[in-house]
Amino acid sequence: MPHAITFQPAGRTVTVSAGTSLIDAAEQAALEISQPCGSQGRCGRCVVKVESGAVRRRSTLRLTAEDLAAGYALACQTVVQGDAVITIPPQEKARRTLVTDKTAGRVELPFPYVPAVDQPLQAIHVEMEPPSMADQTDDWSRLKRALLPKLDCKTLTISMPMLRRLGGILRQADWRVTAVVETGAWDRAECPARLVNLRPGFSENMLWGVAIDVGTTTVSVYLVDLVSGVVRAQAADYNGQIARGEDVISRIIYATKSKASNPDANRLEMQQLVVETINRLIRTVASEAHVAEVDIDKAVVVGNSTMIHLLLGLDGSTIRLDPYVTAVNQPPILTAEQLGLIINPGGTVDCLPGVASYVGADITAGVLSSRMNDATDLTLFLDVGTNGEMVLGTADWLITCACSAGPAFEGAGVLHGMRATRGAIEEIWVNRNDLEPSYRVIGDVAPQGLCGSALINLLAELFITGVIDKAGNVNADVETPRVRKGEFGPEYLIAAADETAAGVGDIVLTKADIDNLLRAKAAIYAGFDVLATAVGVDLADVSKILIGGNFGKYINVEKAIQIGLLPDADWDKFHFLGNTAVRGAYMALLSQSARSQITGIADMMTYLELSADNTFYDVFTSALFLPHTDWDRFPSVKALFENGSRASEQPAER
Amino acid sequence: MPVKIPMEKWAGSVRTVTLGATAADGGTRQHTVTVGGETTLPFLHFEGEIPNRPVVATEIQDRRPDGWSELLMEAWGDRMNDPGDWAKAAEEAGADLIALTFGLTGLDGQPTSAESARLAVRKVLDATGLPVMVSGPGQAEVDNELLVAVAEEGAGERLVLGYCEDRNYRTIVAAALGHGHLVHARTAMDVNLAKQLNILINDMQLPLDRIIMDPTTGALGYGIEYGYSVMERLRLAALQGDSMTQLPMLVTVGEETWKAKESKVGQGVPETWGVWEERAINWEAVTASSLIQSGADIVVVRHPESVKRVHAVIDSMMTANDRGGS
Repeated sequence: MPHAITFQPAGRTVTVSAGTSLIDAAEQAALEISQPCGSQGRCGRCVVKVESGAVRRRSTLRLTAEDLAAGYALACQTVVQGDAVITIPPQEKARRTLVTDKTAGRVELPFPYVPAVDQPLQAIHVEMEPPSMADQTDDWSRLKRALLPKLDCKTLTISMPMLRRLGGILRQADWRVTAVVETGAWDRAECPARLVNLRPGFSENMLWGVAIDVGTTTVSVYLVDLVSGVVRAQAADYNGQIARGEDVISRIIYATKSKASNPDANRLEMQQLVVETINRLIRTVASEAHVAEVDIDKAVVVGNSTMIHLLLGLDGSTIRLDPYVTAVNQPPILTAEQLGLIINPGGTVDCLPGVASYVGADITAGVLSSRMNDATDLTLFLDVGTNGEMVLGTADWLITCACSAGPAFEGAGVLHGMRATRGAIEEIWVNRNDLEPSYRVIGDVAPQGLCGSALINLLAELFITGVIDKAGNVNADVETPRVRKGEFGPEYLIAAADETAAGVGDIVLTKADIDNLLRAKAAIYAGFDVLATAVGVDLADVSKILIGGNFGKYINVEKAIQIGLLPDADWDKFHFLGNTAVRGAYMALLSQSARSQITGIADMMTYLELSADNTFYDVFTSALFLPHTDWDRFPSVKALFENGSRASEQPAER
Repeated sequence: MPVKIPMEKWAGSVRTVTLGATAADGGTRQHTVTVGGETTLPFLHFEGEIPNRPVVATEIQDRRPDGWSELLMEAWGDRMNDPGDWAKAAEEAGADLIALTFGLTGLDGQPTSAESARLAVRKVLDATGLPVMVSGPGQAEVDNELLVAVAEEGAGERLVLGYCEDRNYRTIVAAALGHGHLVHARTAMDVNLAKQLNILINDMQLPLDRIIMDPTTGALGYGIEYGYSVMERLRLAALQGDSMTQLPMLVTVGEETWKAKESKVGQGVPETWGVWEERAINWEAVTASSLIQSGADIVVVRHPESVKRVHAVIDSMMTANDRGGS
């Protein structure tokens, strides 16, 4: 019996028989609904809204209960049962911009902020009698005499930069000043407090700090109003050291090379490069919030151990050599002048503590901001970057390791890999029927390459559509012109030169790329495996999997499980937290107690050195397979293969 | 006082694999050879079943080989000039199986062709009633070309076609599927790699009882310990119930040991090394006997005397300890 289906907003009506899919009906109405997965109900891109009428949903994968209640349906998985009115949402409306903008979501206050309790920095108004022949007290003692009664402290210290400016400011301000004092710091007992800044006059209630995450690839800065606790501006940019090496090892090697003219030249250059990047970002956030850089009185810095060594100009050569030790895991408190930061020269720079050569402050801060240290149930925290660092545990114990995944997921080491910026393919699907790809590009421009999230997507899609086998071999028997023999052996063609950006040529994934991605994912999964085995727990017992790092935000969990990068757990166990490192620095900047918790986290973490673990290689090679040599660890992927796509074709009423 | 021998109860066992097909099963072999089926570690008769003896295959080539030890050339003499004749000689010397290997080129220096491969296999099949294993020269494209032809020529004979490797297995498996053969799955010395290749082959729908795995090994003094322990771990995994490791194992002992200096060099070595020929045969026989102890079901050797010595070891091991121990 024929039924009338009306599509909105086009207002076109077609007559179709019962059982026709909405996709086919739309096609009959000459309307396009994107279906990158080839009508398998896998991607959820063909979602439409059933305004009225009778339809039957064969599969509702990717739709929540609320979506269903609101009438949403997957056009490829929904068939006509009677007359209906369907609204097709605007296609491909979602566009993303640059990676730096991607991270710029609003940052919530991590906890109720009470400056008087939490904040070690305070601004105090002080007025003094000017010196006279009757009172020849020195300037510093005069200030202390006026200030100390207002503090819960017996003594006060001052930095040299501050001391140099002291007399001038006092006289210029006619002995009425606002003193910024820091009480307590990790490396000092409650007292003495330290005079950090002196502003002429009774300035309005203002205090500023910055939280800085020095990533190997990206540096992020938050400008924080320490009165309200709110992040007023944020910015991110590539680390200026990238030109001297993409990963930490090559940076250490570069920094350690001595030149005849000056053996320290490279080390100093690396320090300068990252300081310049940080200063540029400080200028950006300060100008956005209309704050003078010198009014920023504190910086809290996190980063992996290598980045912190390079920032401090320390010799990091021992980090990469057996037995892999750092010069320092908890650097002392510095002033901005000592580092060359453009904030108040006497401002405090606090580099948060790391654990070991390859588990740095970015991870201890990440654990704090993910609240893993409060977890009652078994929790796994993962920070994916050039290195994959991971922490397993609860509030009572934490064990950590780092595995060298290599930069493949960041786009390096892959022929057409690139960072997640404009022109990068960020998402890709392969149609199971004709093996044709469809993809989405950041900025909606002609593609230049593939970023990490697309690489994971593509590897999974090629695997489940049978283009590659479990060992990652390209299957030459599949019938598609997309699989061909290229300059570097067998390859899969993603975009031909006529659809890519000028000068890019064909975008392909080669066998060598696949091998690199396999090694990267195997290293990360092997890390999970070794950690879990070391403490005698089963990965299946983990109740929460927290994923940090900017890249982590864009991983498609389903695809990451299909390739065996992430353990096969229910999707709702995964939580993507974005940049946990900078948020941990932000928390430490706000609160003395958060700061001491990080020290506690660093102290309680047990570090497992994988290079000294004789099971790692075995675990690694067993993970060097799609999804894993042991199928039973990935029941959802196994089921997908055993049932094929037929599962989604079965009536799935709900 | 009687000593109670502790016994392990294993959850798994090795699959039984039959090589060769008699007329009743569509082949022309006089008899078949069955390996595998163990329910315990090698030769622990008191603990489980060892239903099938380990077997010795003799390696022959499609033509008189270059670069083989002169000891081997003397041992086989003119019979190496023709693969059928060589196979016959091997059978006479006591081989359980014939392992025919192709060189990259013929005696004339021309690349071995599919036609000549067919001819060689035909000669071997006609000359002997033993089950036959056939391997290419070990270069993916050449192997594929030759083995497809061999599979056709020997259709129904349940040959063992080699080598399937993780980067090159599809064509050979397809040929085995199409013509009723088995495959020889070779990996570098690693438990996971061996298991992965079995999965890949099995994914192409070739039943597991048509796969023989070759985890590769080293000769005595040249990494045998590593190979031994990988094989032992594979066998332990099999007995613990890991189905993808429950396959009989094959090692190409002759190929490894005749590369060792101790076998290859007859002059300019310390006198204490003893008589060259004796030493070389010992090297092969000791390597083979050791690997049988780690679970090898098929050892491929080159010297006729080694066949006898390894058989003697197998004979004694199959009767040495009976159920009940003491």
